[in-house]
Amino acid sequence: MQGLSIFGLLVATFLMVIAKRTPALVRSFRYQSFFLFLATLVIALEERQLNLYVVAGLIFALKVIGIPYFLQYTMKKINVREDLGLIANTQISLLLSLGFAYLSWIFSKQLMSSSETTAILPAVAFFILLTGMFLMIFRLTAMAQIIGLLIMENGLFLLASAVLGGMPFFVEIAIFFDVFVSVVIMGFFVYRINKLFTHIDVNRLSRLRG
Amino acid sequence: MSDPLSLFFLATILIVTIPSFVYSIGYLKKEYSPKKILLGQILTFLFVLSMLAVVTVSNMLAFLIAWEIMSLVSYFLVVFDSEHEKSIQAGTIYVVMTHAGTAFLVAAFLLLYQHTHSFDFNLVKVASQTIPVHTRNIIFIFLLIGFGTKAGIVPLHIWLPYAHPQAPSHISSMMSGVMIKTAIYGLIRFIIYLLGVNDTWWGTLVLILAIISCLVGIIYALMEKDIKKLLAYSSVENIGIILFGVGLSMYFMSKNMSYWAVFALIAGLYHLINHAIFKGLLFLCAGSVYKAAGTRNMEKLGGLIRTMPITAACFLIGAMGISALPPLNGFVSEWLTLQAFFMGAWHTPGTDKLFLGFCAAMLALTSGLAAACFVKAFGITFLAKPRSSYAEKAIESPVSMRFGMLFLAGLTIIFGLGAAVIINILSRVAGASLGIDTSAMVFSVNNITIHPLAGNAMSLSPLTMALILVLCGLLGWIIYKVYRKRAISYNTWDCGYYRLDARHEYTATGFSKPLRIAFSFFLRPYRTTKKSGESFYHIKSMTYETHTTPVFKKYIYKPVLAITFKSAKFMRRIQPGSIHVYLAYIAITIFVLIILIRKF
Repeated sequence: MQGLSIFGLLVATFLMVIAKRTPALVRSFRYQSFFLFLATLVIALEERQLNLYVVAGLIFALKVIGIPYFLQYTMKKINVREDLGLIANTQISLLLSLGFAYLSWIFSKQLMSSSETTAILPAVAFFILLTGMFLMIFRLTAMAQIIGLLIMENGLFLLASAVLGGMPFFVEIAIFFDVFVSVVIMGFFVYRINKLFTHIDVNRLSRLRG
Repeated sequence: MSDPLSLFFLATILIVTIPSFVYSIGYLKKEYSPKKILLGQILTFLFVLSMLAVVTVSNMLAFLIAWEIMSLVSYFLVVFDSEHEKSIQAGTIYVVMTHAGTAFLVAAFLLLYQHTHSFDFNLVKVASQTIPVHTRNIIFIFLLIGFGTKAGIVPLHIWLPYAHPQAPSHISSMMSGVMIKTAIYGLIRFIIYLLGVNDTWWGTLVLILAIISCLVGIIYALMEKDIKKLLAYSSVENIGIILFGVGLSMYFMSKNMSYWAVFALIAGLYHLINHAIFKGLLFLCAGSVYKAAGTRNMEKLGGLIRTMPITAACFLIGAMGISALPPLNGFVSEWLTLQAFFMGAWHTPGTDKLFLGFCAAMLALTSGLAAACFVKAFGITFLAKPRSSYAEKAIESPVSMRFGMLFLAGLTIIFGLGAAVIINILSRVAGASLGIDTSAMVFSVNNITIHPLAGNAMSLSPLTMALILVLCGLLGWIIYKVYRKRAISYNTWDCGYYRLDARHEYTATGFSKPLRIAFSFFLRPYRTTKKSGESFYHIKSMTYETHTTPVFKKYIYKPVLAITFKSAKFMRRIQPGSIHVYLAYIAITIFVLIILIRKF
């Protein structure tokens, strides 16, 4: 079961790297969150802790349903081009992300310094983190930045549950709220930026510098 | 906390701020809208409260917080006349300088904490003896820079002549009278009381800075024609005189001459409270003149003694006090400081003798120049005939303002005549701050002689002097009454020109000309003349301007600013304005950090 969820996470992440349009990215994010939910559920079943069940439920409610829905709703409302604006094209992005996967694997093995089975989950987490950052840097629209941040958060969450067996319950809840609020705020800002500048291309905000 | 040093500063603050506050009621009326007056009074209240907090807290963190509140509130008070471009500029200079100073304080406090593991004054004092020597030196330098910025020690004084004159006058009075003294409190509290003086060079450095501050302050004050700026520069000078006392005390402490250390600190503290009183008074008088005449430029004033007699009398008392004329308070404290120097020179060997003698000479020179400066300030502002329509329409200020001035003028006299009592009170304060038991020591103005060899034959008592002066005054008055009949009033002889007007009067610039020439090596005066006319021989109009080069601004602050801006411009190259590049920077930084900590 854990193997399936890890495989799903990897596939969803690669899908995001090659996505050219925002709806595709949001959809992949939903898949990724779903597999994250699965992974957490598996850990919860193993550890038999109420906290983890609640967290898994929250992931499902917020990241699989709530946030993607809100993002889609915002996109529909501002009615902009769906193009993500690729700085690096899909082939190069894919190659780079393969490199990230390899780096994460090495790093994780060094860090965990134990068997390969325990190293695999942190490796995937690092990979997701790196990919999120990569998407934030190499995609033009503000929407991509928001989703990139969410992906990084997913990676962080996975890393925490893999290495530490989950963060303290209250921290977990607080982070969920943070993520949700920040998505709402960023969605609102994207809306405002779009209204002011009639686009959400972050690159064109560069003339605002001091 | 019944710490004598804190109590002394509490008293100093209240003595100046209460009359200033009463004064402000009349001063602010009609100048500003009621709402703004309310805002100003709330800020003033906060300002006084924060100063009180600064001198009473017994914890370094609390001290820093109070210190910051004081700085920020005073910044808002400096920019209170927010419609004036100059106020904003002055406020900016002030806030930058004061925060640069605070940065040094934070560094010094953290260093203290690192070695003593406590922020509490008493615990720090106990543990401070274990700090290694070079760290102590660094802490001392940081504290000196940090507090020196606030006190206005040259060359960190740059903000003072901008900020103090721009604030409303009762605020100038509090800032110049009290706020810069909190820095002296800091120096005494942290260097003398907490850290303890072990090295002779600490005291020597403070004395050298004192000499520079005194001379630079008073020379610039002499050149000023803006009356409030003149007073601000004079504050720089007086901080120098206070530092003479403090520095000398540190010097004596390091030489284990405890009696003289207490004595020098008494002199410093005495001058501190004196300066608070008469500088507060002078700023209030200057504000009164400004409110009545609408200008601070002395060249446009004159003849105010007839229309504003009470302000003039108060200003005269303040000016006499600050010029160290007996029997007023300034005389007593400068006299004590000079005595401390003579005694120091008497009891120390070799080059120290020479150095202390030199300091005494510089103090004497400063006093002389200060007298010249205030002859100018009083003479040009209040005597002769009005130099412009501004001065002609001036009227005496309202009751609340007069109360503030008269109260402080009264204190100027009381602190001069009551010297014997006050010295004994101050000896307890000084003893407590130096950690010396003063119960067995005797301090008296009368016992201090001009030269040790002369014994008691040449002692001076302010009360006797006051009596002599009163008698002389009476004599003068009698002579005036008896011979008045013979006086004939007539026009000033004008070489047969017959059309003398106010423009022929002696000016402030003219008065200070000889000193401008004498100190030209430092002031670097230059003049610009502009002639316009049909030909070289037939000139229709001519303008003549004379300026002095602002040495510190030109040779220290301008280069520093230029370097700062240049490097900022250079650093801006990495700032393309693109979010993606910034994100990439963050990513690269994280990778580099991971590699650097060798986790990978």
